[in-house]
Amino acid sequence: MDQFEKWYADRLDYQREWKNKTGKEVVGYFCTYTPEEILYAFDILPVRILGTHEPPNISSSHIPGMFCPFSRDVLAQGLLGRYDHLDGIILAQSCLHLRGAFSSWEIHRGPIWNHYLPMPNHVQSERSIPFLVEEYKLLIENLERLTGRKIGDDDLQRGIIKKNNVRKVLRDIYQTRRTDNPPITGAESMGVACARFFTHADDFLKEATLLLESLQTRRLKRDPGNRIMLVGSESDDVEFLKMIENLGETASVGCTVVVEDLCTTTRDFWDLVDTSSQDPLKAIAVRYVNRTPCPTKDWPQRLRIDTIMDLAREYRVDGVIFAHQKFCDPHENDMPFIRKRLEDNGIPTYFLEFDVTEPAGPLATRVEAFLETLDATDDLF
Amino acid sequence: MDQRITAGIDCGSKTTKCVIVEGNDPIGIGLTSSGFDIKEAINRSLNDALCASNMDRECIERIGVTGAGAGNTEIVDIEINEIRAMGRGAVHFFPGATTVVDVGAEMARTARLSKNGNVEDFAMNEKCAAGAGAFIEAMSRALGVPLEDMGELANQSNNPIPMNAQCVIFAESEVVGQIHANTPVKDICRAIHDAMASRIASMIRRVGPMGTSDDDIVVMGGVALNTGFIEALKRELMVERLRIPRHPLIVPAVGAALIAREEGSD
Amino acid sequence: MDRYPTEPIKCWDRAKKMRADWYKDLTRRGGIRIMGSAWAFDAVPMGLGRDVRWMAGEPYGASCAARPELSSRFMTAAENFGFSRDICAYMRNYWGSILCNEYAFGGAFPKADLAYTQHICCSHAKWYQNAIALEGGGIPFFAVDVGAGPYPPFAPEMYEHRIRYVTDQLLDSIDWLEETTGRTFQDDLFVEAAWNDIRTTRAWAEICHLNRAVPAPLDEKSLYSLYVFAALQKSNGAFADFYEKELLVEVRDRVDRGIAAVGNERARVMTDTQPPWGSLSIYRHLEKWGVVSMGSLYTFGLEGMWLFDKDSQRLLPRPLPPENPQSREEACRMLADWHLSRPEYQHFYSPRYKTDMMDAIARGWKVDGIILHYNRGCEGLSMGIAENRLGLIDRGHRVMTYEGNMGDQREFDMQTTEKRIDIFLESLGLPRPKDP
Repeated sequence: MDQFEKWYADRLDYQREWKNKTGKEVVGYFCTYTPEEILYAFDILPVRILGTHEPPNISSSHIPGMFCPFSRDVLAQGLLGRYDHLDGIILAQSCLHLRGAFSSWEIHRGPIWNHYLPMPNHVQSERSIPFLVEEYKLLIENLERLTGRKIGDDDLQRGIIKKNNVRKVLRDIYQTRRTDNPPITGAESMGVACARFFTHADDFLKEATLLLESLQTRRLKRDPGNRIMLVGSESDDVEFLKMIENLGETASVGCTVVVEDLCTTTRDFWDLVDTSSQDPLKAIAVRYVNRTPCPTKDWPQRLRIDTIMDLAREYRVDGVIFAHQKFCDPHENDMPFIRKRLEDNGIPTYFLEFDVTEPAGPLATRVEAFLETLDATDDLF
Repeated sequence: MDQRITAGIDCGSKTTKCVIVEGNDPIGIGLTSSGFDIKEAINRSLNDALCASNMDRECIERIGVTGAGAGNTEIVDIEINEIRAMGRGAVHFFPGATTVVDVGAEMARTARLSKNGNVEDFAMNEKCAAGAGAFIEAMSRALGVPLEDMGELANQSNNPIPMNAQCVIFAESEVVGQIHANTPVKDICRAIHDAMASRIASMIRRVGPMGTSDDDIVVMGGVALNTGFIEALKRELMVERLRIPRHPLIVPAVGAALIAREEGSD
Repeated sequence: MDRYPTEPIKCWDRAKKMRADWYKDLTRRGGIRIMGSAWAFDAVPMGLGRDVRWMAGEPYGASCAARPELSSRFMTAAENFGFSRDICAYMRNYWGSILCNEYAFGGAFPKADLAYTQHICCSHAKWYQNAIALEGGGIPFFAVDVGAGPYPPFAPEMYEHRIRYVTDQLLDSIDWLEETTGRTFQDDLFVEAAWNDIRTTRAWAEICHLNRAVPAPLDEKSLYSLYVFAALQKSNGAFADFYEKELLVEVRDRVDRGIAAVGNERARVMTDTQPPWGSLSIYRHLEKWGVVSMGSLYTFGLEGMWLFDKDSQRLLPRPLPPENPQSREEACRMLADWHLSRPEYQHFYSPRYKTDMMDAIARGWKVDGIILHYNRGCEGLSMGIAENRLGLIDRGHRVMTYEGNMGDQREFDMQTTEKRIDIFLESLGLPRPKDP
């Protein structure tokens, strides 16, 4: 667990060291629709840029306050010069807010290699696949300009296998949380899952595989309490999860977050690339088109609701907490309908908005109150 | 030098200030609480200033008003928008001023000035108390420290701690949390000033440019008297020096008086 | 004594009637009623027959917003349902209208038989996905993704695969329309409607292009009442004719004779994003200063079709394609290419492109100052606006901003905004009006 915490906390040191050691490029990405497989094929280290939970005042001349605090926090990292070691930045189009962070970064921290990938939104149409494959070819041309290297199908397969392995091990780690007393808490899981954003797939896979083995025998001396699922936008609020999972120590109610449907966790690693395909570029495109969608791409059918219901059933969830970034329109558009489906199926829900400028303490108090209502429901029968 | 005597009145949300100017100097100041009746406050402040300068009403050639006093045309000869008044007043005391900041009880505003003192760009913060004096007032209550001691106490701390809350209400909650965690009061005090300076600096940067040696930044308004805020603002803007007028509250009123004189008659 | 002669716009009353009739027509029984975005390819469903009634969402949202007491009821209903306050204000007005079952133009909310739209911002397709859910479901729905990348000169070329992606979705949607309605799609009706779309949007650009004249023949507040036809239904032949044969002709005449929109025009400004629809009197406030807002990229390019010429740094109305489309495939392709060049699509890829276009307007239309509306009601059109501000200032323009909401009156403060405008106009060197 320590290694993951270290990677999370010292992400920038790790990236600089990797760069010095290998002499290769580090490219920062903003959204999980970025085809990391292609970047790995070029032997580039793809790193996701997350915020650091500080008030992003420096961003306010670039992104007004009505856009989500996460996107402003992300931009602040660039404006503060913390990512000057990056050789480039890439955005796969999804939400508007992150596009703003990407373009302001490009304008004010440039000139820097950058690529805007128009990741299609009509993922429920087959037309999106040939479109995306052609866009990947444009990306590859641009990466050739960045690195001076060319790649072939073998390199793409390599990249696919690296990412698939990372996703597989994370899914397996997450499977251990299905048990009655999960051997890993939600805070720990999120910390582990987020650490993958900052590290090379090979390093991560090694540690994660060891962790998975240890989870077979690990036992936690805590009352798991209520089984909670988080549903929401971007979140790496490990501190918040620690707070609510520790409630049981002092309060009469407790909980464990057993699974999430978040941009930073399952939505990114649940789906694999088909390695049996003869056309690896197309296989990658198929994976990104078919993965659990961001709400901006979840239409005309709202397919994500089914994924959420499946997870809720498999993980035997007692309650769902919506964990949204404040002002996150895509998720706000879906929320009332997801909520209704969950509640119609007997799963109580609670809504929380996250904003780096609000202290986490009062949020934990509200969660405590929610957990008490779950216990009260049990008492009725 | 135009020796006409003029008066400038700045109607703030809390205090109405009147300054009588002769030549280059303010010769009489009247400060009164604004209350609900702007007209009354204008008259009172004018009378106080007349008393202070030992003058009669007839000696005053023209009266300019700025701030919330717009529309009260009975005694007023010219209305001046507060950004202009702030800029003109700043340049009077500091001829090289390039950027002006006025942080009052309930609002903050800033302007960038051209070489001849004209307003080139401006920004204001009216909707949010967390970027104004009310923030520090609320925090002094939460901490149980007298308002006038807050600045000095902050300057005694060498330990910056992050303060995330941008909203007065949430900040109170955060301060209470820090108190319970036994954080030294002076460190909390510094965090409060750092947080506010960060927001004000953010507003100043909007009208930029910053960081050149030609920058001459004038800070006025009630909060300019708070040494803790001034030190925090210097750190935030990464400057060695900020210009603080001797009477930071009356600068816009002085500006109004000067513009009233300079802009002759209608 | 005004500096310039003024005259009311001759086709004003006719325009008002046309708009009123159009909204009323939507509630008539019979035919097929289809809801979709003002940016949708509304020409396509016209192939279903001459009894298609098209409901564009955004103009309806704006109409609600122009009546604050009505809008506030709709907003409350939407919020009570569980929608957040920061979601697009047009959508909340629309959904609230459905929840209250109240049409802003009288009677019950006209339920759609189909939903057919496009998607570029985060919320376009979600709008109708949610509207359908609020109507109890069961309304077939197709959305065309137009997030296919920027148009030249903002991209090296309009790549074939990007045009193909949109064209193929359009062709698929035609098959879908046939399956869903059971009707045979009539290519000739579609091809005619497609050409109308192109005519309408080109003509609107030409009309706005004339506003470079000093004095400006039209002011932005009037432009809002006139651009609405392109937003209501681009593919409507009567609207295309109105622009090409009446309005364009009249505006040319006004320019020839030096007729002004604002008689005391002494300075010109440009704005951006939608205005606060419930408070359009801010334009009258500008006029007291002798200031005319002669438009914006929003008014010109929301529906009007323009191309940015990199060499001359000018924004010019997009030339009509040399020939009408003759077949379904040709029409789909032509529309795909035409729509992808929409000026208000380009900033979704980078604010740089919009800054270029805004700069071209500010210079070409001889603007003294720029007023940007940080519109909390539409994240799509206000995306990147802070960068546009910085970019325009860098290019030597004078810029002010104000916060507000196009559709939610609670987030707009008239007094504060007017004060800011006054300070800004004074900083431009304009004398205070004697009678503010």
